[in-house]
Amino acid sequence: MAACMHMGGPMKIRCLLVLLFSATLVSSSFGEDVESRLKTLEDTTKAQQQKFEEQQRLIDELKSSLGGPSAPGAAETAALPTPSKPVQTATPGQEGTTAKLTGIFGGSAMTNPYLSLVVNTFFYGSTLKQKELDSRTVPGFTNVPVDVRKGFNFDSAELFIFAPVDPYLTLYANIPVTESGTELEEAYFVTSSLPGGLQVKGGKFKSGFGRINGQHPHAWDFVDAPLNYRAFMGAEGMGGEKGIQVTWLPELPIYLQLGIEALQGENDQLFGADAKDGPHAFTIFAKTSMEIGDSGTILFGPSFIKGKANIPTVADNTTFTGNTDLFGFEMVYKWKPSRGTGFILQSEYLYRKQTGDLRMGDVADPASTVAPLTRAQDGIYVQGLYQIERWRVGARYDVLDLIKKDYILSGSQQSLGKQPWRATGALEFNPSEFTRVRLQYTRDESSRDGKTNNELYLQMLLGIGAHAAHSF
Amino acid sequence: MRKTAIVLIALLVPATPAFAKVKVVATLPWIGSVADEIGKEQVEITTLVKPNQDPHMVDARPSMILATRKADILMYNGLDLEIGYLPILIESSRNPNIQPGKPGNFDCSHFVTVLEKPVSVDRSMGDVHPLGNPHYHYSPARILSVAEGMASALSALDPSHADAYKANLATFREKVRAKQKEWGALPTKGKQFVAYHKLFEYLAADFGFTITAYVEPKPGIPPSAAYIEHLIEAIGRSRPNGILTTPIYGRKEVDFLAQKTGVRGVVIPHDVGATPGAKDWFSFMDQTLSALVK
Repeated sequence: MAACMHMGGPMKIRCLLVLLFSATLVSSSFGEDVESRLKTLEDTTKAQQQKFEEQQRLIDELKSSLGGPSAPGAAETAALPTPSKPVQTATPGQEGTTAKLTGIFGGSAMTNPYLSLVVNTFFYGSTLKQKELDSRTVPGFTNVPVDVRKGFNFDSAELFIFAPVDPYLTLYANIPVTESGTELEEAYFVTSSLPGGLQVKGGKFKSGFGRINGQHPHAWDFVDAPLNYRAFMGAEGMGGEKGIQVTWLPELPIYLQLGIEALQGENDQLFGADAKDGPHAFTIFAKTSMEIGDSGTILFGPSFIKGKANIPTVADNTTFTGNTDLFGFEMVYKWKPSRGTGFILQSEYLYRKQTGDLRMGDVADPASTVAPLTRAQDGIYVQGLYQIERWRVGARYDVLDLIKKDYILSGSQQSLGKQPWRATGALEFNPSEFTRVRLQYTRDESSRDGKTNNELYLQMLLGIGAHAAHSF
Repeated sequence: MRKTAIVLIALLVPATPAFAKVKVVATLPWIGSVADEIGKEQVEITTLVKPNQDPHMVDARPSMILATRKADILMYNGLDLEIGYLPILIESSRNPNIQPGKPGNFDCSHFVTVLEKPVSVDRSMGDVHPLGNPHYHYSPARILSVAEGMASALSALDPSHADAYKANLATFREKVRAKQKEWGALPTKGKQFVAYHKLFEYLAADFGFTITAYVEPKPGIPPSAAYIEHLIEAIGRSRPNGILTTPIYGRKEVDFLAQKTGVRGVVIPHDVGATPGAKDWFSFMDQTLSALVK
């Protein structure tokens, strides 16, 4: 009923009808009598609605004839300011109260949060057998294979929900539904009204470390994350972490964003949930940006995350305990000279150092052995995308063991095999803003054993619902 | 203790000295131009979107965040035209002044009567604007209403110059009325045009011409070869007075249609600065109307 109170005339009547209808369902004794009355009421409503519409049309006609000059003779009348005044009075102080139902965040009813659903599904082809794919790792970096099946794959249907909580906070949630269930990837608040260019984010969110990390997989420029992400953070990036983030945009002539985070540290390539009681991962990052000419923008900056590690992902049947440092440097250049043309060049360098002990065998097993391990390794990706109208072509090269490739177990460098690298090409078609079809080929030489994986993806991305804005 | 509190409050309250200019951030060039007419030397205007950009598809560049960070007032078109980048800009700006509901959040569309508000809409209809057609900057009467709103908003933010804003508004009003007479005398009434995009509905309503068809089969969806064929046939039959487009939309298609049918293509600036002569809102409208009747 409360909902009805805020509605306009015809809406109110419709609401009443619904109420009446439910009343008939509850008390069947009224039976046909009510039905006939309902019919009459419905007819009356229809007639009223028609009247309404007619009147509205008349008003609109009058408005438009007043709004503009129709004939030279009518110019005098037309020159008068429109008497059908602005929907809103010109007192800015009242904006909050008298403003129309929709604010800057668009949509129709302010009481409902904005919803959108992004479906990510793809076909995967490979020259390797499924069995080989299931055991294909990056030795020395990670023992986690990529979770894909030959043939049709359903990555996820991601549900996004967002809305202002009150004038001070906005709430965002991202709930990917996969075949194995529903997870809560992100749910966090962001402040909007702190002074001094400060902003606080809290809850479960994607860290501001690096570039691809903060993006949702559907916004990536390729189907999968680059090799250095997979090697150091996992195939989905760091993922949602519980914690708090403070960023600062100082008032400077150039764009500079500084940020720090305290995170629980649950990523199983970097930290591990049980590495330490309490939060045990801490991030600091800076991003700066400037414009190059009318159409070009460059953004770059370093990121650093440090924490305690207790992870099973170094190799099978091992547990590593110790400290993790991950350093990153991101760079992106965007050139957008016109509506149908654009170019993006993007690169991230990652360097990870871990020092601690590697236990081989089960922790509970007294026969298991422990050896000191230091891993100081790095990797980079470089990718470029060129847009021509509704098409985009992309290329990416990613490689590990670029400058540093220390894997020192019990004081001696281990030989791990060939240098892991991949080369990728992609072709995208975007029929509308809300659909993307992507064909991607990757030559994957990341398994160090000389076994090439020639991969083919045909991906379909679809979005419905509220139009959430994407950051730069 | 009390001293500390006072110092803290002094730090937190953004002190706007009387001599400082009001920092206006306008999303689109026409908004910047009208704000300049009302604010004149009292304001400092930054315009976010470049005239050669498609206002529907703008990337939130960090430089825009930097500009909005410092804004006293943010003026935007509204009706979801800026939905792809403005919410993120407002949030990333960390600027309390310009948050929704604050006096520094100025939605120009609040001051106009909107055309083509759809009764029901879904995206199978293309990129339809669910709140109505947002391209009202071609309507002199509506621009005057927006200017009135701007004068009140600026006076509220900067009361010491309220008289100046009032005077500037009076000048602007006179100029718009004089121009309205001039434009209204042009022979636009009763003409028929085909348009590339749903951009000129307010222009048609104000100046008494009709738009009979669109080159885009649905808003935001470019025409297929088959649809172009159909248009050639339809345009050839109905012989409209011209095919309307802008420097950034479908020039190729319109040129092709014009060449095939002999109906002239009319290039209208989509915003201030989109063509070399359209240096402010008045010359933008001058160019628009003279292109129509040429």
